[in-house]
Amino acid sequence: MMAKSKTINRSSSRYIYMFILQKLLTYLLIMFGAFTACFILLRFVPGDPLGTLLTSIEQQYGWRLPPEDKARIISEYKRMFGLEGSILEQYILFLRRVIFEGNLGPSLISFPTPAQNLISRALPWTIWLLGISTILSWLIGNILGTLVGWKHGSKTDTVITAVALCLSQIPYYYLALLLVLFVAFTLGILPAMGAYSAELAPSFTPEFILSMLKHTILPASSLVLVSACGWLISMRSLIISIQGEDYLLFAVAKGLKKNYILMKYAFRNAMLPQVTGLAISLGFIVNGAYLVEWIFNYPGIGYLFVTAINLLDFNVIQGILLLTVFTVLTANFIVEILYPILDPRIRYWGK
Amino acid sequence: MNIRLENIQRFLAPLRYNFKLKIGVSIFLLLLMLGIFEPIINKFIIGGKNPIEIGLFKPLLPPSISHILGTDMWGRDTFAMLIAGLKYSLTIGLLAGAISTLIGVVMALLSGYKGGIWDVSLNGFTNLMLVIPSWPILAIIAAYVRKIDIVTMSILLAIFSWPVAARTIRAQVLSLKERAYVDLARITGLSDLEIIFLEIMPGLLPYIGVGFANSTIGAILAETGLELIGLSPGNIVTLGLIVYWCMQWGVLSLGYPHLILAPILCLVLIFLSLNLINIGLDEVYNPRLKKITGM
Repeated sequence: MMAKSKTINRSSSRYIYMFILQKLLTYLLIMFGAFTACFILLRFVPGDPLGTLLTSIEQQYGWRLPPEDKARIISEYKRMFGLEGSILEQYILFLRRVIFEGNLGPSLISFPTPAQNLISRALPWTIWLLGISTILSWLIGNILGTLVGWKHGSKTDTVITAVALCLSQIPYYYLALLLVLFVAFTLGILPAMGAYSAELAPSFTPEFILSMLKHTILPASSLVLVSACGWLISMRSLIISIQGEDYLLFAVAKGLKKNYILMKYAFRNAMLPQVTGLAISLGFIVNGAYLVEWIFNYPGIGYLFVTAINLLDFNVIQGILLLTVFTVLTANFIVEILYPILDPRIRYWGK
Repeated sequence: MNIRLENIQRFLAPLRYNFKLKIGVSIFLLLLMLGIFEPIINKFIIGGKNPIEIGLFKPLLPPSISHILGTDMWGRDTFAMLIAGLKYSLTIGLLAGAISTLIGVVMALLSGYKGGIWDVSLNGFTNLMLVIPSWPILAIIAAYVRKIDIVTMSILLAIFSWPVAARTIRAQVLSLKERAYVDLARITGLSDLEIIFLEIMPGLLPYIGVGFANSTIGAILAETGLELIGLSPGNIVTLGLIVYWCMQWGVLSLGYPHLILAPILCLVLIFLSLNLINIGLDEVYNPRLKKITGM
């Protein structure tokens, strides 16, 4: 047994490279497959965004285009949007543009602004809102979960767990609606629309930052309230399961102080899966909260996506879908690679 | 036959002693009853008219005996609409849940029981589906297709919610097929289908129940999310659609909170009851879990 583990150790760096290479290949393959799937999905959904747009413009201005002009406009647009030729030609053009040029094509509604500009303008807001709420809920949930789990069976534990169980069942976007209703409208304390007040221009003045923080509180708390409860419940279970472990019994038998055991034994061991969980949810940031942004008119990716969906803004929809797929798959890949580092019980080699 | 009866009894027995299962099933049955008897309730309160017909009553009446929850902006009885919404939301959720559980069970049995290349390919596909962001894709399809009926909607929701069920059930199939009694059945010369339905299925039922509850929750969540941005199946009212209308009218600023609170409460009750059933089933069939989680 000893001899065997030694040989494994000696050649373990080779296993690590093999492992990473294997994961990398799978990752690239899946990414390629997912991009192709997105392309196919978007070409084959029924509907005629260009025709719809032209009709709505016609209705708006009250005159009709001659059909030959209409056909010319549509074919010109199709050229610009890369919708010409056979499906195969379109596919090659799509891959060339997206992967090598990073060009997602012009937006249909905010023509001719390229879709990637719209997306990169919205992205910082989403990263800020989701980043801060993910980290906050993680901290709150884990701290409360540890305390409650440590004293499980007590009255506080029963009450807090029951409340958390119910609260975690409320879809976060309904909680957002309730917050708008009670805090923004009834109490009128906090703003419920946008990311900063309309009369200010984005800058690094204290005034702007204060307004930005104020506008973050409500959307962030709707996310934090729900997901902190999820973290709380899982942390509580982890702490309780660790309390049944032999090494904890041994620590108690050694006469160590209760708080020392909590911090050094229970908390540290329970943190492992939670850190991994945090890494995964940070990876999902980009597609985290479409609906919260929509409800609060928060100018992030989600708001852009919902607006684009309602106006059938083809390139923006496609861009956001590709971005989401890319970030989620990449986050998953990174977590898979880092997992054995985070948790020494999992090895790069063997199953 | 004998074995079967015993199984049913064993399957129902936990309802008597597991508190969470009892509460969850009671709330869910109550909601289900309200949905099933919607036509009768409707006849009783608004005389069998279409609850979403505009202008049946005066708009924005406060709650009273004839209109328990008052009326909305367009003069419709909120309670009648709520019950109708409950009916359709549950129909969509349960239909989608059933379809995705069916897909999940087939996938899980193929990959778990058959093993080998089946397992590698199907399990890989399941894992891929798990990481792909399904809601944006659903929203795109719903946006382009516009006119969707209940069945199409349910199928669409099911296509994106089966992987969770498949994963849970597959793990159980893997464990069940190694049991001694399954080996015994194999030696006795039973066919694969006989083994699956007579030996493995009974042990799988609670997990299928968990998968079904999970997919139903997922489907209703996704559906209400779509409705919140205005992508709803046409011609029917659902709980999510009522919330959407309330948002559009600015009920929030007008000061008629009960109009929007009632449908949200209904949805939360659906989610809560299904989740309690989930946790209850887990506790009953995974006694070790109760010790571990202490819930």
